[in-house]
Amino acid sequence: MKHLKPLNNKALILEQAAAEDRLEEVVAMSSVAGCTATTDPGWEVDVFGGVASLCQPMEADLYGCSDPCWWPAQVPDMMSTFPDWNKDAQSSDEGWRNLTTVFPNDK
Amino acid sequence: MKTTRLRHYLSAGTLAMLACAVLPPAVAEDGKAILNAKCMACHTPEGNDALSRISHQRKTPEGWLMSIARMQLMYGVKISDEDRRSVVKYLADRQGLAPSETDGMRYAMERRLNTVEKFDEPLNQMCARCHSGARVALQRRPLQEWERLVEFHLGRWPSLEYQMMSRDRDWLGLARNEVAPQLAKDYPLESQAWSDWQKSKPGADALPGQWSFSGHMMTRGDVRGVMSVTHDSGDTFNIEVKGQYADGTPFNGSGSAIVYNGYEWRGNLKIGDVRMHQVFAALNGEMKGRMFETEHDERGLDFSAARQDSPRLLAVQPAFIRAGNEAELTLVGSGLSGTPDLGAGVEVVKVLESTPQLLRVKVKAAADAAPGLRNVALGALKGVDLAVYTEVAEVKVVPAYSVARIGENGGTTPKVQGRFEAEAWGKGADGQPYRIGYLPAKWTVEPFNEQARDDEDVKFAGTMQRDGVFLPAGAGPNPQRRMMANNVGNLKVIAQLEEGGLQGEGQLIVTVQRWNSPPLP
Repeated sequence: MKHLKPLNNKALILEQAAAEDRLEEVVAMSSVAGCTATTDPGWEVDVFGGVASLCQPMEADLYGCSDPCWWPAQVPDMMSTFPDWNKDAQSSDEGWRNLTTVFPNDK
Repeated sequence: MKTTRLRHYLSAGTLAMLACAVLPPAVAEDGKAILNAKCMACHTPEGNDALSRISHQRKTPEGWLMSIARMQLMYGVKISDEDRRSVVKYLADRQGLAPSETDGMRYAMERRLNTVEKFDEPLNQMCARCHSGARVALQRRPLQEWERLVEFHLGRWPSLEYQMMSRDRDWLGLARNEVAPQLAKDYPLESQAWSDWQKSKPGADALPGQWSFSGHMMTRGDVRGVMSVTHDSGDTFNIEVKGQYADGTPFNGSGSAIVYNGYEWRGNLKIGDVRMHQVFAALNGEMKGRMFETEHDERGLDFSAARQDSPRLLAVQPAFIRAGNEAELTLVGSGLSGTPDLGAGVEVVKVLESTPQLLRVKVKAAADAAPGLRNVALGALKGVDLAVYTEVAEVKVVPAYSVARIGENGGTTPKVQGRFEAEAWGKGADGQPYRIGYLPAKWTVEPFNEQARDDEDVKFAGTMQRDGVFLPAGAGPNPQRRMMANNVGNLKVIAQLEEGGLQGEGQLIVTVQRWNSPPLP
């Protein structure tokens, strides 16, 4: 971190937390079953236990994250398993309504 | 990236063609024949009816469903819903978990998604930080199969090594050398519990009959009634539910159920117009678990039931009374008769209704009755407590921490609501806290912290209704919000008791939708 400077507030908060040795404490916080908080950022919850440091709006960079499998338990990974997940939603800003859940419906 | 995708198309496509070209379609064959027909193209026979990989794992019905669904999604296996059900049944029966092997983990099958898990390291950081730890703990494998699961994860989702809590350590070395051996030790393929269960598991004849049930639907109140179970064929049953909420609203419906592995009861029924799913453990004349709406699994009730030939006291509704008051209580169970003993200072004034499943009584708690719990006894039947209180010492919001999700607004994912109750606690004569029960409250939300205040989370994230149901806002970027953020929020949930005004607080995270929703979170 010595040669890196935070560019925005989120990075600054993270750097401060790291400086104060709070990083393990904040990232170790567990959310509820099946939610992820520690994938920097998490999907449901951020490392501080809130939502302000999530990717927001998540549609803004959704495919930049689903393509490299960032939250494969929550969001269909487009690199290995669901390459066509966004075929009806090429622009996530406009087309997010066409994204569908991937588990077969017959439970 | 393109090369990777091309390779993926080829492999999935080739496998699918193999499965279709080589093997005949299996329509009404039994589970084993379908398993062989559908899976043998890739899973090699190992003698003794064993197939590579498949025969070296044990899982819940949901676990097997997820495995087969993964074969469909990842490798292009073509299988009808009906055939998949047959294979799940076949595998869950023969390679399931003993009841004791699911202890403490049933919340995942029961879709209690606000459960905060507590797994030791390294399992918490290596497994449970992306999906539930229960998804792992509800499987049994030998070391080699746990190792293969590690390799599969890295091969399928290679970026996992670059994420926080991976890149700071030798993830693969840790996974191979520490996590896999620990899993093989904690969750081994062979176990005494499993071999005992295979010898002792009951047949389908243990289940037909009249089941008296008791439950509590969050924000809606106590429920009671009778579920009639009749045998259909094999391990399937027809069910009819006749019951009511404490306020008299009917809770009636019918449907069907299947039992896996001698005790894993899964029902699908319609209560009124609402489709509901049952996940119960049916053991020794008792059913226990959760019943929830199929489309909204956050709406559900804790459920316990006893068969008519298994005398049991399931609940007293409500399970509290204020000292000095008269109230009507209902004891629910099976084989009920006589007048209950409700403990010191609580007198039965009159028996209002008495059936083997239900005993309705008018009771009076003396003004000087000592605050605390009493064991309710009805003849030899015990196991239920009645709380007497003079004042509420503390209010807890239940659940204390929970996650709701935005949805709809033209999108395909439903909103996931928050549902809250105010749990009153008293202080006993011994100074110890004791649970009184859910009491009526007024509900509000506030920003959880300064950040949430700055971001106006309360304004955007949704609406807290008067009944303790939080209705999240719509999905999608919101142009009204800074940075067009979604309607997410970090909220403090505040319950104020209608009587006395005491307050309690909880935390509600309103977050984004989820598109990958297998039955085990």
